[in-house]
Amino acid sequence: MRLLHNYHYAAAMALFCIGLYTVIVRRNIIKKLIGLNIMETSVFFFYISLGYLDGGVAPIHAGSADPARMVNPIPQALILTGIVVALSVTALALSMVILLYRQYGTLDVDRLMREEEPAAEGAAGEGEGGA
Amino acid sequence: MGAWRHFPIFMITLPLLGAVLMPFLGYLRERWVPYAALLPLAASTLLGFLLVGRIPAGDHLSYHLGGWEPPFGIEIRVDHVGLFLMLVVCAITLLALVYSRRYIEKEVSPGRRTAYYVLYLLMSGAMLGFTATGDIFNLFVFMEILALSSYALVAITGNRNAVRAAFKYVLMGAPSSIMVLLAVGFLYSVTGTLNMADLASRIAESGYTEVLVVSYILFVIGFGVKAALFPLHMWLPDAHSIAPSPISALLSGLLVEVCAFALVRITFSVFTRSATDLVGGTADAVGVAAAAAVLYGGIMAITQKDLKVMIAYSTVSHIGYIFLGITAFTAEGLTGAMYHMLDHGLAKACLFLCAGNFIYLKGYRRIEELRGAWRQMPWTCFAFALASISVIGIPPTAGFISKWYLILGNIRAGKWLYTIVLLSGSILAAVYCLRIIYYMFFQAGKEEAWEDASRDVPPGMLVPVWALSLGTLFFGVFSYLLIPSLLKASAYLL
Repeated sequence: MRLLHNYHYAAAMALFCIGLYTVIVRRNIIKKLIGLNIMETSVFFFYISLGYLDGGVAPIHAGSADPARMVNPIPQALILTGIVVALSVTALALSMVILLYRQYGTLDVDRLMREEEPAAEGAAGEGEGGA
Repeated sequence: MGAWRHFPIFMITLPLLGAVLMPFLGYLRERWVPYAALLPLAASTLLGFLLVGRIPAGDHLSYHLGGWEPPFGIEIRVDHVGLFLMLVVCAITLLALVYSRRYIEKEVSPGRRTAYYVLYLLMSGAMLGFTATGDIFNLFVFMEILALSSYALVAITGNRNAVRAAFKYVLMGAPSSIMVLLAVGFLYSVTGTLNMADLASRIAESGYTEVLVVSYILFVIGFGVKAALFPLHMWLPDAHSIAPSPISALLSGLLVEVCAFALVRITFSVFTRSATDLVGGTADAVGVAAAAAVLYGGIMAITQKDLKVMIAYSTVSHIGYIFLGITAFTAEGLTGAMYHMLDHGLAKACLFLCAGNFIYLKGYRRIEELRGAWRQMPWTCFAFALASISVIGIPPTAGFISKWYLILGNIRAGKWLYTIVLLSGSILAAVYCLRIIYYMFFQAGKEEAWEDASRDVPPGMLVPVWALSLGTLFFGVFSYLLIPSLLKASAYLL
């Protein structure tokens, strides 16, 4: 029953898992970024639903509103910051995607990472030192 | 109420303010930017040193932003351990910035140099704020400033490998940030507060143990990715080896450590002793991962052919050391972890800057190209050797002191297996470090490999390298200056 009452939390977590799944499993990097945004949105949704009150009023103390019926404004303030952060991360990642596509000609993450491994990924070096 | 109470906030905001002003200066006089960028960091370092000895033992300095009393306003909370780490951050960022001027002229194209310094200052300010803040949402914000500036700094050269490494970092770093945000949300939902001290008192009496445990696991995963704890380390070898060397030094020497320190804060200042039973299981899992990291990082470092990748894998190993110190849950273990943050920061930054010297002068990245480097670049090679000795943990360097306390802490906790892991980590470190020293000093290189090299790098690049490597020696010999107060501060945290 508690879960049924708190269905919005379950929805947020389901959305979070969908996003995480997309980030991990999808091979297209644009889709990975979409998954990232789904994850972010699910967390924002979770925060906002924390502060939500059925039939609540704006938390302005000047009027005659009853403080017990006021919506909690703190999660909203936090999420404003969170949205700015998410926007910057997405913008940065998309600009990197543009650079990657120009230089590698592909958006497929497997091909991107396979192509021309950094020279470092070699087998055992000639470790005759240490003696 | 002396003026010194305001120092912590100035230490954080001066670099951030510098980052805001730098583009204007870059627009007018680009050549002045490298010098002007030194000012805010030097001021922060000075303020940090002026704070030493002002905070009473076993207490902390609390600063309320905007005069709003916690738990309503944001609190800056500096205790002895925090101040210690802030000083480490100030000193190393300042030295790596001095180093940057010459190196960046060579590696980064002219139009991007101002951006480099802007991002550098942002990252330094964010690291200081991250260490000092007493509010978990503020912690998230500083972590994001730190992460965003480091993503961009890894990619600053704009070549294809750098952008790919940075993108790999974003793909792992961004979800981990979201997990931290979600963990903060969970804590807020059961306690209704964001202030760390207030959380600590409310966590014990809130009945929602499952939520708390899930929240702690999310914190561990979130900070674990940022600190490159073993199974989550995949981004590190690429990003740390491809970034410009001063940035590698910062990422490897400081960023992973402040993220490990964030976990210290969450574990000891938020969940505290009373809730340790709740998170004990997770902490045990972290201990296993850390032990695996020590061995895996060491073995991978031995197999590498590229110098910077080898140093990066060594960082994976040493992060394991720090986490093993934290999960011992003893004052000695925590002291060892904090001291390891100092000496690993100094030594690893020094190693990366030395690797940068070889790249700067000769473009050499591969280990076998360093044969006989000693004759051409004696100063760089000696600094490298001294820092390697600290990485291995041979006395009288600081690496020995920190490993001593890490092992002592694990013995006190009765964790014998981890003690053996810590010791064998040192043997692995000896293998990968002495191999390089052997190549540098005892092998004759080809004559033509070094003939056109001028004798060592300019002093502007040598001085930071030597300051760092002598630092490892200084804090090894004079460890009694810091260890007693760290032990006391660790006991206070526990």
